[in-house]
Amino acid sequence: MTDDRPNAWRRTIRQRALIAGVALAVWSTAIEARLVYLQVVRHDDILAMADKQQRRTIEAPAKRGEIRDRHNRVLAYSVDVDSVYAVPSEIADPKQAARDLCRALDACSAGDRAELERRLDRKAAFTFVERFVSAAVSDRIRALDMQGVGLMKESRRFYPNRELAGHVLGYVGTDNVGLGGLEAAYNKMILGAPGKVLVQTDARGRAFNRVERLPTTGATLELTIDEQLQYIVERELAAGVQHHKAAGGTAVMMDPSTGEILAMASYPTFNPNVFREADADERRNRAVQDLYEPGSTFKIVTASAAMEEGVIKPTDMVNTDPGFITIGARRIDDTHRYGVVTFADAIVKSSNVGAIKVGWDVGANRLDTYVRRFGFGRPVSSDFPGESPGIVWDPAKLDRSALASVSMGYQVGVTPLQMVTATAAVANGGIRVKPRIVRAVVRDGVRTPTEIAEEHRVISARTAAELTTIMEEVVTIGTAKGFAQVEGFSVAGKTGTAQKLVNRVYSHSEYNVSFTGFVPSRKPAFALVVVVDTPRNGFYYGASVAGPIFKTIADAALRHLGVPPTVFPAPPVVVDRRAQAAPLPGVPMVVTVDDAGGRAMPDLVGLSAREALRRMARLGVSLRMQGTGTVVAQYPEAGQTVAVGGSCTIMLDRGTGRGRGSTGNAP
Amino acid sequence: MEHVETFDYAIRKDVRNTTIVREVDERRQRELWTSLAIGAVLVVVVMFDAWQHFELIRQGYAIEALQKARAEEDEASRHLRLEAATLRAPQRIERIAATRLGMSVPKAADTIVLERVLPAEPPARSVVASR
Repeated sequence: MTDDRPNAWRRTIRQRALIAGVALAVWSTAIEARLVYLQVVRHDDILAMADKQQRRTIEAPAKRGEIRDRHNRVLAYSVDVDSVYAVPSEIADPKQAARDLCRALDACSAGDRAELERRLDRKAAFTFVERFVSAAVSDRIRALDMQGVGLMKESRRFYPNRELAGHVLGYVGTDNVGLGGLEAAYNKMILGAPGKVLVQTDARGRAFNRVERLPTTGATLELTIDEQLQYIVERELAAGVQHHKAAGGTAVMMDPSTGEILAMASYPTFNPNVFREADADERRNRAVQDLYEPGSTFKIVTASAAMEEGVIKPTDMVNTDPGFITIGARRIDDTHRYGVVTFADAIVKSSNVGAIKVGWDVGANRLDTYVRRFGFGRPVSSDFPGESPGIVWDPAKLDRSALASVSMGYQVGVTPLQMVTATAAVANGGIRVKPRIVRAVVRDGVRTPTEIAEEHRVISARTAAELTTIMEEVVTIGTAKGFAQVEGFSVAGKTGTAQKLVNRVYSHSEYNVSFTGFVPSRKPAFALVVVVDTPRNGFYYGASVAGPIFKTIADAALRHLGVPPTVFPAPPVVVDRRAQAAPLPGVPMVVTVDDAGGRAMPDLVGLSAREALRRMARLGVSLRMQGTGTVVAQYPEAGQTVAVGGSCTIMLDRGTGRGRGSTGNAP
Repeated sequence: MEHVETFDYAIRKDVRNTTIVREVDERRQRELWTSLAIGAVLVVVVMFDAWQHFELIRQGYAIEALQKARAEEDEASRHLRLEAATLRAPQRIERIAATRLGMSVPKAADTIVLERVLPAEPPARSVVASR
């Protein structure tokens, strides 16, 4: 007994240790079992739950490529803007939420509020409250700090020039898909590919790591359009159409040597930023979608076929008496009785009788060949969605009356783009160049020009030159006299006035009037067609309606392009560029002066270079300039004789002002 | 009642062992220092690993913040470019020139063309700067 007493505690300890050990073992086994259950049995579920909680996959929207003009000015551009969304299931009081949101939005009527409340009440997982809101609205929404309402970035297309080239550019829907114009035609190329961003977040939802697959920005289109020319064309077309109270109009400007479309305008126009506010009529690109009977402008084709096939020469006589022609019961009139005139005169005066007689001599098959060679009856380019191919009849079905109609531009349907392409073929010496509007595609920083489209000769250079002469006379002495002449430039053109078909009958009050031509006629900077639909202010001739529009466009465009006058051109001006870089007033210069009589040299000292140029140009004297600023010296000196066609030299300097004497020395 | 008492007798002997010094076991000493060194290395490794881990997370936050700032700057730049393009619109410039500055379209007589300068065609395929 005494032996047991000291060891009793050992037993107790051992028992307790055993119990504790067993408890610990059970506890750790339970924990292990739980861990095994969580990490092995439910591994996939829990991993998925963790991923869901810690990782967010964000769709990075693709940015549409830009659209720029030929000088890299931005025409269409995408930026991210806020859209307001809601998670209705997280919104406790939809009515109050709708009221608050409506107050924060820019324009929210009672109807809009009711509709919003209905959507918030639906307890759906997601709904847009308003897409593409302004910065002010997003600030107000952010300030509301509402449960279940948030802002998200969406890419939105902007057209900084508003209506400018709207018909060409087209427009983009809310889902970033091109719906019209080049935006639709090149949608795949411009669209780009969306990216994904995998974001890891901590317990507080703060991101600390990300794996990105960056979105691919779409290709940038560089157009052949010149923003300034486009503006000029749109401005003058709109003014002309409004002045004549017409239903609409279109104008297309093209570089005849390359086929590049420099401007393409339609009126009425629309703002692609808010394209939904425009109706289908306003959104229609009339330059490629509208068919019209060209009337007398089509006589260019008839004349080309006749002269190219040797049927007639410009100097051959055509009898247009008695001023009309009858085909069965049908009678076709000329506006005047011209009598016997040369074929050139028949075209210059736009004689229907003359054109019909020549058209008959050419014949349906040969005329059809030229109609198709000039590009009528088929789409011109794939760049324009919805482009009309035009209407050209099978020559086998053309009877004498129909052939007469085609010869003077009826019973054929053409688009303004086709017409300007045909005109350009005459302008460049007889070669039809396929029009193009996309100049280059820039992808990943590499600019790849679009291939120059196919070219083929339509008429010989000789025929083109003869036709150009005839078209020049149209402007100087013919139907367009006084309407389409551009001061200082030789213009070649052709007028067209065509009755419109209304209820299958040619109207006597509604006309399609047009003018097509090119300028300067001997070395064209551009070909231009102007078509006006149904002018209603009393004038209905192509010359008096479309001619002046052509003139004002051409005048401004030539100035913009810096084309020097071709009629009585100013004498050449020589600018010493080296001297401009380092003006050296007072240094004598060497000038050759033609002293064979002439005019007294004016005093140019103190004048600006521009004013001095202007005065000398009026005298017909060439000018050589050194330096920049105002004139400080001149040779010959004021009062000395200078020959017309001769030259003089002026020295320019900044800040020296008037008062310095002439320093020029004769050689 | 019988009571047995037990006495323990001890002979105290004063043992003077203060001069006795325990012999240093150099092998064990080396093992000790080796263990300590290994332990220290392990601690350093663990500490370094932990530091790396937390530094990675800290840098992750910093990178996130910078990326967000960059994205915001990029977007601001795009907005500014759009605004610049809007301000350069020809119709706006013409309106300001005509109404605010009193300018008008020059007439043919007011214009003298020195020389038509045609821009050079860009090369067939070229690398261009992009923004």
